[in-house]
Amino acid sequence: METPSNALRIGPFEVFSTQPVVPAVRVGNDHELPGRLFVVEGIDGSGKSTQLSLLHKWLESRGYGVVFSQWNSSTLVKDTTKLGKKKKMLTPATFSLIHATDFADRIERNILPLLKAGAIVLCDRYIYTAFARDVARGMDRKWVRDLYEFAMKPTVGFYFRVPLETAIGRLLAARDGFKFYEAGLDLGLSDDPVESFRIFQGRIIDEYERMIPEFNLTVIDATLPVEVQQSQVRQIARTHLEKAKNLRVRP
Amino acid sequence: MRQTYGKLLPGMKLSGLSGKLIVVEGTDGAGRTTQINMLKPWLEEMGHAVLDTALTRSALAGEGIRRAKEGNHVGRVTQSLFYATDFIDRLENEIAPALRAGFIVLTDRYIYSLMARAIVRGVEPAWIRNLFSVAITPDAVFYLRIGIDQLIPRVIFSHGFDYWESGMDVHHGHDMYESFYRYQTSLLAEFDRLGEEFQFQTVDASADAKVVFTQLQSKILALLERDSRKSFLSGTNERWPEISHDLAEQTAGAVRASAWQDLDRLLHPVAADRPGANGAGNGTAHHK
Repeated sequence: METPSNALRIGPFEVFSTQPVVPAVRVGNDHELPGRLFVVEGIDGSGKSTQLSLLHKWLESRGYGVVFSQWNSSTLVKDTTKLGKKKKMLTPATFSLIHATDFADRIERNILPLLKAGAIVLCDRYIYTAFARDVARGMDRKWVRDLYEFAMKPTVGFYFRVPLETAIGRLLAARDGFKFYEAGLDLGLSDDPVESFRIFQGRIIDEYERMIPEFNLTVIDATLPVEVQQSQVRQIARTHLEKAKNLRVRP
Repeated sequence: MRQTYGKLLPGMKLSGLSGKLIVVEGTDGAGRTTQINMLKPWLEEMGHAVLDTALTRSALAGEGIRRAKEGNHVGRVTQSLFYATDFIDRLENEIAPALRAGFIVLTDRYIYSLMARAIVRGVEPAWIRNLFSVAITPDAVFYLRIGIDQLIPRVIFSHGFDYWESGMDVHHGHDMYESFYRYQTSLLAEFDRLGEEFQFQTVDASADAKVVFTQLQSKILALLERDSRKSFLSGTNERWPEISHDLAEQTAGAVRASAWQDLDRLLHPVAADRPGANGAGNGTAHHK
């Protein structure tokens, strides 16, 4: 059988290699791309999205090129996820895999090229959300971590820590109730959605707490006033933007 | 007791998976679908209930994969994960329940094609192996092996070039023929490597389809015979019933009907929720 050539080159770029490579960059390695990657994590109702949106505005006002990427937003994958959730077809394994597929598409077509181009990428939820939710659903902790090995380590991973009851209070004040998978109703923990949400999110908090030292997450006290949290977030982000003047799209 | 390749999915019980999991592997154009379409009625005639399944047939992700591949760039990691979603949906909702009901599951491709496709696209083999470590170990993998020179007329002169089968996402910039040649050549090499690792039983697929079929028949009979002897000797009395050919003809229909009802109940506890899943139960061929 003919052995294929090791690499084909089009101009300076290697487009194919039979030599195996890591899908992208392993979790745990700092990416050495010119861009910056800030991600926010925390349970629903922790206020992380508000904080990320305030950071977004601040970075833009300072002239940086900023791109925002949301969990579960791949145009190629989200219809499948929606179908699975609507028809309640997802098991812990397929729930995990379809979210990983969505994330991979955003990494491959969006986040990675943007970081190479020198953009600041902001992610509302990142791999830690998958680790927390999938393990809370019974997936093997190491299997899920290995699954996301292609992800880049963020510049900063902010974890917004909030007591469960505070989060539940905020959520119930803002909307009618909880969705099926959000409340972990697929796990049969309780027939009562609020009680199921409480048990499931409690497990998720346990997983987040375990990940703080494991992945060196930056903890923000999400019970503090919004302005105080934002000032902490900006201060931390600023330290990673020095020497990065080339990231600015405007002077 | 049945095994997986290292990891167990939550809720997956390996005991009682008494059926047989038979994999037919090979590149495009090797004749896998033709063989499965002959094997299924043959096994049914002998009185076995058979489920046939193939890539992208899951109710969850099949349609999504087809849509994503139409006119979009799909990255190599995304491809692997999308196909893994489809595979696990079928593993949990079709393959495992069918094995539990004592079916022979004939699967047109399994994790090996998905691994080969990912590896030739430069994905790290350890990563893709971990991904599929939750798969159930099959009873047999029949690899329909064909050389690139026999493959070209079969594929290209029958239905023309396909973007993905030609690996155009890998070799973009080349024309379809050149890309097809390079891509399928590296796939074949990868299949040979996987074949050693996963103990494929290789069948020369360049031969006439009837010759290939006869070889597969004798290998499958040997497998069924071996296992019936094993369970007879161990006294579990779970051997395949010995049905004469005439009796087989008379009873096959009835066996099929009742087995399908059993499987249908297993597959569709909430039938109304999963209309798409019925396609797996009625045995109609719907090749991608």
